[in-house]
Amino acid sequence: MAYVATRGGERAMEQSQRLFRAEMGAITPERVAEVRAAMPYLVDRVMGEASLYDQDLAALALAQTGGELYEAILLLRAWRTTQPRLTVADPVTQEGLFTHRRISAAFKDIPGGQVLGPTLDYAHRILATEVLKGETHVPAPVEPASRPSPARQPSVAAWQADNDLLTAPEPDTATGNDIPDVTREPLMFPADRAHTLQSLARAETGGVLALGYAAQRGYGQAHPTVNELRLAEADVVVRHPRGTRFSAGRVKVSQAEVVSKQGEALGLGFSATLGWNEVKVIAAATLDLNSNGAPKGSATEEEFFLYHTEGVESSGFCIHFKLPHYVTFQSSLDAMRDAKAKRAARARHAEPAE
Amino acid sequence: MTAHPVPSEFETRTNATYDALMWALSRPGLIRALPGQGPAQIVEALIDRECAVHCADTDLAALVARTGAAPVAPEAADHLFVSALSPDLPGRLALGSDLHPEHGATLVAPATLGQGARLRLSGPGVDGTLEVAVGEVPDGFWTGRDRVLRYPLGFELFLVDGDRVLGLPRSTRVEVL
Amino acid sequence: MTLQSLTRAWEPMSYGFLDASAKREIRRKMLKAIAVPGCQVPYASREVPMARGWGTGGLQISCTLINPRTRIKVIDQGADDSVNAASIRKFLARVSGAPTTNDALEADLIQSRHRVPEEVLREDQVLVLQVPNPEPLRPVQPNMSIARQMHADADYGRMWLQLYEQIVRSGRVMQGASYPSLVNGRFVMTPSPIPRWDVPKLHMARHLTILSAGREKRLHVVPPFTRVEPLVFDDVPYRVEDHGGLTCQRSGARGYFMNEIPQDDGSSIHEVSDSDLGVKTIRRREGEAVAIGATWYENGEMTS
Repeated sequence: MAYVATRGGERAMEQSQRLFRAEMGAITPERVAEVRAAMPYLVDRVMGEASLYDQDLAALALAQTGGELYEAILLLRAWRTTQPRLTVADPVTQEGLFTHRRISAAFKDIPGGQVLGPTLDYAHRILATEVLKGETHVPAPVEPASRPSPARQPSVAAWQADNDLLTAPEPDTATGNDIPDVTREPLMFPADRAHTLQSLARAETGGVLALGYAAQRGYGQAHPTVNELRLAEADVVVRHPRGTRFSAGRVKVSQAEVVSKQGEALGLGFSATLGWNEVKVIAAATLDLNSNGAPKGSATEEEFFLYHTEGVESSGFCIHFKLPHYVTFQSSLDAMRDAKAKRAARARHAEPAE
Repeated sequence: MTAHPVPSEFETRTNATYDALMWALSRPGLIRALPGQGPAQIVEALIDRECAVHCADTDLAALVARTGAAPVAPEAADHLFVSALSPDLPGRLALGSDLHPEHGATLVAPATLGQGARLRLSGPGVDGTLEVAVGEVPDGFWTGRDRVLRYPLGFELFLVDGDRVLGLPRSTRVEVL
Repeated sequence: MTLQSLTRAWEPMSYGFLDASAKREIRRKMLKAIAVPGCQVPYASREVPMARGWGTGGLQISCTLINPRTRIKVIDQGADDSVNAASIRKFLARVSGAPTTNDALEADLIQSRHRVPEEVLREDQVLVLQVPNPEPLRPVQPNMSIARQMHADADYGRMWLQLYEQIVRSGRVMQGASYPSLVNGRFVMTPSPIPRWDVPKLHMARHLTILSAGREKRLHVVPPFTRVEPLVFDDVPYRVEDHGGLTCQRSGARGYFMNEIPQDDGSSIHEVSDSDLGVKTIRRREGEAVAIGATWYENGEMTS
């Protein structure tokens, strides 16, 4: 038979997956536990982009895909979509966050204080090559402060609103199942505020950075001042069927407020995501800050940046170009060849007249 | 994973119901068989908490309430279940907007299929024209429908007679003979 | 109300992968798309275990329609044996237990990327086309919200202008696949990247065509017996690919859409793009009694 048998294709597909995993070896519970323990920031990034908070599942997805991030996130998103929605947690408020790190570039000091918390910001980025020579790099132990900083603090924007420097956003009164959910409804424009913030929360970090950076470099009108950057843990408060409200656990969250002068008041950009990912929330808040009134088709227009920072969609579309396109290509060739033939015929026709 | 999932009774029923609705709307005027009797199966196949429903059919009220759909006035409903059609109903339905024609309502009502007023149908899904007899629809409903439809704005109608359903999308022109 | 009524039995995977609420949403959106042919209806488009851009839109439609008796055929570029078609077919069978076929005549549901089979589809068949970009206006207007307003206003002037400019520049319309077409006289749609050869097959067809873009979260429908008119000027007729005179080197089939296979000596040979039609033609040539259905094209010409 002249045509490739279907079975042959299926065998090739199976073997290609085996090849992909051949060098990774067995995926064991120990490996998953090690990924989770050793790479919390990678796990956080994956959980944020998957919009699914489960460190074990995220570590498993990383182990199962060999760290192919787009694949890991797709795996988690596809798992997430099959899960039942049991309840909707209470809103998380800024002043309710258990805060690990909270800094402001807008003021030297802020109510509640600057809390440096965990960061590599002031580390000298020198590779610990001694580890490769057989030494173990043991991090020096943390020396606790004599007076711990307060665990819960108000937002800087709240102080600015009290001082008539900015107009606080209208509170969103939607609760429970009435909160628009971008995973259950298509994104339409102008987008629901909830859809915008949800989309940014699960956006691909690199994509948000690229467009946020473009805005910061001058393709946006507003230059951001980091009003507040916060890494924290949030209680997930749900209601028991008997009516008792209780915390089902804590999730790590990041959030950023950025501001810029807009006339006589400050404009506010905001972003929050699951997991600790500072670059993402600062870049995303910059996009949010610049989106109001942005020209259609510009990098800071909501439609532009929300569509193009959706990592599962953009990476999927990018790799789909590997699929055969020979039908469409043939169709284009036909039009090209015919146009060329027509041109040649016209030229031949024109010659005798000269 | 070896065994494939097996459909539940609910899945089988709603799948078959939707199949009937889809073909009823794709081929207006051709009567399709529903898996069971009456409009309850249509509620199961289509309605959940994401819907806004006007239910004026007391037999269905409890079922509709259990779906979690928001109970609303006819004007705000994306789906309506009524026990009888009235001439003024078309004027009260959501017809969608130019930007979102798909926001037009879906109306489910009882009727007698195969006897009653003769209608001539034409439009997408109809091979030329088709005549069908429909009873229990009051005088004036069809003119009311005709008056409010401004394609692509409009509403969809499913007429249910026991275990049979007839679909009339907004794109169908209905002439009363 | 009891706890029992609020819960359901645990299943490792929903039948057809999608859960009941995802299916209901897709059903509601499909009904509206049938009622307004060619109109792009937004839908939630859940994530499925396949990458976006690889047929997730078509897959969600198939997963919603499928039941254990639905006989499914999956093709990519006209071929049942393409790896992506094989992968989607395997997934659909795995989540539904539905039987599969390569034969367009046997299929109840055909999910396809970039082709409409050559054999005429019947009025009980559903064709699900995978759509990468649902917006025919994108070449002239990449912004989705502006494009939506243009559809609302039936403002297709820039579309026409683009075609006119191509004729002025190149002597013909240069659109390859995805030829923009007016549906039921109202909405311009993309027929998905099927070749121009296939667009007339949608016009006043007996089967139902559902076009679904998973990544872009839009679906649109061409119901049976619905006008699908490629945008053309009165004096510049619509032209399908010039394949009517080509012969398949493998099967001898003639007068169908072909794949061009470049040869070492600089020439090309052709093979029929509809792989199962090719297989059936070979089997018949070898003396087997094989049913080949009526085809839309006869002797390379579209029969109306």
